[in-house]
Amino acid sequence: MAVAFRNVTKVFPDGTVALDGFELTFETGEFVVLLGPSGSGKTTACRILAGLEPATSGRIEVGGRDITDLPPRERGMSMVFQNYALYAHKSVYDNIAYPLRVRGVPKQEIDGRVRDTARLLQIDELMGRRPGQLSGGQAQRVAVARALVWQPDICLMDEPLSNLDAILRLQTRTELKRLHAELKTTFVFVTHDQEEAMTLGTRIAVLKDGSLVQFDTPREIYHRPASRFVAEFIGRPAMNVIDGAIAGGRFRADGLELALPGRADQAVGLGIRPEHILLHGRPKEGAQAFRLDVKELVEPDMLLFVRRGALALVVRTKADLAGLDALEPGAEVHLELPGERLHLFDAASGLRQP
Amino acid sequence: MVALATLVVVLVIALTPYLWLLMTSFKTRLDALADAPVWLFTPTLEHYPMVFLDKGYLPMVGNSLIVAGVSTALSLAIGVPAAYVFARHDFAGKEDLFFFFLTTRMAPPISVVVPMFLFFGYVGLIDTRTSVILAHSTFNLSLVVWMMRGFFADIPREIDEAAQMDGHTRAGMFLRVLLPLAAPGMAATAVLCFILSWNEFLYALILVAFESRTLTVGIPGLVTPHGTLWGQVAAVAVVATLPIIVFTFLVQRHLVRGLTFGAVKG
Amino acid sequence: MNLSRWGSGILDRGVGPLFLVPALLLLVVLLVGPFLYMVGVSFTDLSFALPGHDGNFVGFENYRRLMREDPVFWQSFGTTLVFVSGVVSVEFGLGFALALLLFHHVQRRRFVLTLLLIPMMLAPVAVGLMWKLMLHGEFGMLTHYLRELGLLGPQTALLGNHDLVLPTVMLVDVWEWTPFVTLVFLAGLLSLPREPFEAAVMDGARPWQVFRDITVPLLRPIIALVLLLRGIDAFKEFDKVFILTGGGPGTATELISIYAWRVNFRNWDLGYGAVCAFMVYLVVLILCAVSYKAIYWTEGRAVK
Repeated sequence: MAVAFRNVTKVFPDGTVALDGFELTFETGEFVVLLGPSGSGKTTACRILAGLEPATSGRIEVGGRDITDLPPRERGMSMVFQNYALYAHKSVYDNIAYPLRVRGVPKQEIDGRVRDTARLLQIDELMGRRPGQLSGGQAQRVAVARALVWQPDICLMDEPLSNLDAILRLQTRTELKRLHAELKTTFVFVTHDQEEAMTLGTRIAVLKDGSLVQFDTPREIYHRPASRFVAEFIGRPAMNVIDGAIAGGRFRADGLELALPGRADQAVGLGIRPEHILLHGRPKEGAQAFRLDVKELVEPDMLLFVRRGALALVVRTKADLAGLDALEPGAEVHLELPGERLHLFDAASGLRQP
Repeated sequence: MVALATLVVVLVIALTPYLWLLMTSFKTRLDALADAPVWLFTPTLEHYPMVFLDKGYLPMVGNSLIVAGVSTALSLAIGVPAAYVFARHDFAGKEDLFFFFLTTRMAPPISVVVPMFLFFGYVGLIDTRTSVILAHSTFNLSLVVWMMRGFFADIPREIDEAAQMDGHTRAGMFLRVLLPLAAPGMAATAVLCFILSWNEFLYALILVAFESRTLTVGIPGLVTPHGTLWGQVAAVAVVATLPIIVFTFLVQRHLVRGLTFGAVKG
Repeated sequence: MNLSRWGSGILDRGVGPLFLVPALLLLVVLLVGPFLYMVGVSFTDLSFALPGHDGNFVGFENYRRLMREDPVFWQSFGTTLVFVSGVVSVEFGLGFALALLLFHHVQRRRFVLTLLLIPMMLAPVAVGLMWKLMLHGEFGMLTHYLRELGLLGPQTALLGNHDLVLPTVMLVDVWEWTPFVTLVFLAGLLSLPREPFEAAVMDGARPWQVFRDITVPLLRPIIALVLLLRGIDAFKEFDKVFILTGGGPGTATELISIYAWRVNFRNWDLGYGAVCAFMVYLVVLILCAVSYKAIYWTEGRAVK
């Protein structure tokens, strides 16, 4: 069954255009991540899908059925809110049981389902507590339990991990992945954290300025970013993109020249990820000499910030590489940019060049 | 030390008049009218049954309870949904409408009661509890709208949305989720409404004269130019004020917000 | 469109605007309508006391009478202004001082505050009676002690003396409402951020300099709020003074509300009384508009 945004536009009363002709289609059972910087429209897209926000124009379809005008409760979707939105006046048990009661699930069935879900999320010990007595991580689990207990078709999550501390965030991430594998529920997960997106998503929708720029598997997004924006947004440190031009089969930029045989003449950005640059201790055929600026140890890797004239690059390499410790700022290093790792983006549109 | 002494003096000044009233209600006529103030005396309980049973002030307590209770319920029933709209919805002219609610609270009772007197006379409601209930509901309504808007605004919007995602209609969300969450604020508001209605004098004075008199209107009837029975006056005044003092302790936390129209949170 | 669909639509979409309808209906029927009716009456000679005055249209006659021929109205207006400015300034000073005292020197504030609240929560009618009892010319407790101390002549009664009666009812109002000022200021003080005070102390400011340069400017919205709320309330004063003096002796304490009451419900001169009530409303409306602007202009900076 397909879930689709069809040309959805959202203009807020203050004139802000949150979504601009947004198009996205995915299959149920997927773990879809909506990824983008703040203001890209990802949260708006999620809320429109939920029915919490009306679209200014366009349609939402599930399995070919137009649900644009349905109220939230008739959409078969649940949601985990960023601040969890637990009912402060109800116990944990009642919070989880609540959607079942509202939906008229028979009483004798409710208890079993609440307990099963609580066990799944390992919160069965907390059933009697009030939300005010829970830690952030516990409250988050209760929110997830409340969203999953009635087995909705789609579970929406709006930055559900951003209020957790770093360690808990990693644990919960793994947890969500396990839940998805077990339940086969469709998850739609909104985040601005590219690492979260890469680890969680079966497919990632990258948004920019209210439009979809790429919808692909994490692997494709990483290896074949559709635009310079995606390339720079995914991966840390960000991809090096060197502005220059191709002329006569050679790429020329300020301080760098590379052979790119068979390429048409055009102005381009030449991209290469820091981890794909090869580092050599002494001059080598096809390698270029740079001067080392700063070294940063990010165990087990090392980041090298290098310069050559106006050109600055970041290189990521193994920290235990032989001879690396001896390199001091100011030392000369030789970098090789392997042809198969290079990305080309049109200088004007930013689009990937095949 | 100076601070403590000042505070004691302030408290003595603040509390003595009420203490004196309380004492007078238990004094014999002789003690109450003594030339030199009597601080120690043998208490008597004669005034209370005398004024409430023999002089028929008990029905006035009933009237006050009915008027305060019903007008509080009415203004909550009407005002709470309106407050929710003000807290959550945006529409053109919202703040102006809100200001209109404020002016109804601020309007001088004398300029409201004159038109009301004319109106209730026209529809034949003069000297009924209904007229006082309706009159009190008008000023309590704006208090409810003002206070409850603040309490609703304190509830995160995500709660509304979570309730809708959990399967509620908006009406169901309001009744089943938001009202329980706003219940403590609603209780405080209700108590404050009750106090204001119970204490109110001018509307009741103008709108009712006989059977429907409330306690506040009844008290001055005991004060006559000749031979006022102060023990009985005090007994009625104590009954009219003691429940309010208890209520005040209950809602003290929300009092500032209620009395400043939400501009200051307590 | 089938019926159940429509029903659920009402449950969803009706929750917005429909919720306002009962409230507006109540206000329009009980306030706006009657008020407009009263404005209409103000152009007539309606009186329950004079024969033949059954609501004949007289144009602006009543307004002319108010402006030209009624010194008593203007006298009561003047009395009201004295009353308002007097009580508001004293309550402001005392209440603010008391709030500072509680804020800086008292630990168990809530208890003290609860006791302080009693005067303002009592029915104003009861307050009036209490003080009438205390100030009684023959056996009043306060009268007795004032005479013992030689502060009051043996034949003088505070509520019966033409010169002393207005200050006396004003003091009763101060007794009743100073706690309100204290309560609001204390809430304001407690909600102020601590950093500016600590910074000022680190900068070497003395306590009175901290008060002048930090406390007062930060409390400005609260100050405006207190002055205007108390101003409006004092302008509306009726119950207490009505019980204490009935406006007398003579017209010494006849506040504008009491005067309007007398015209309407003692003289039953309703056409003219409508004009009086309307004028009181106008003054308060103006005060109210000013206060609303003051409060919400400063809302961004205000202590919420």
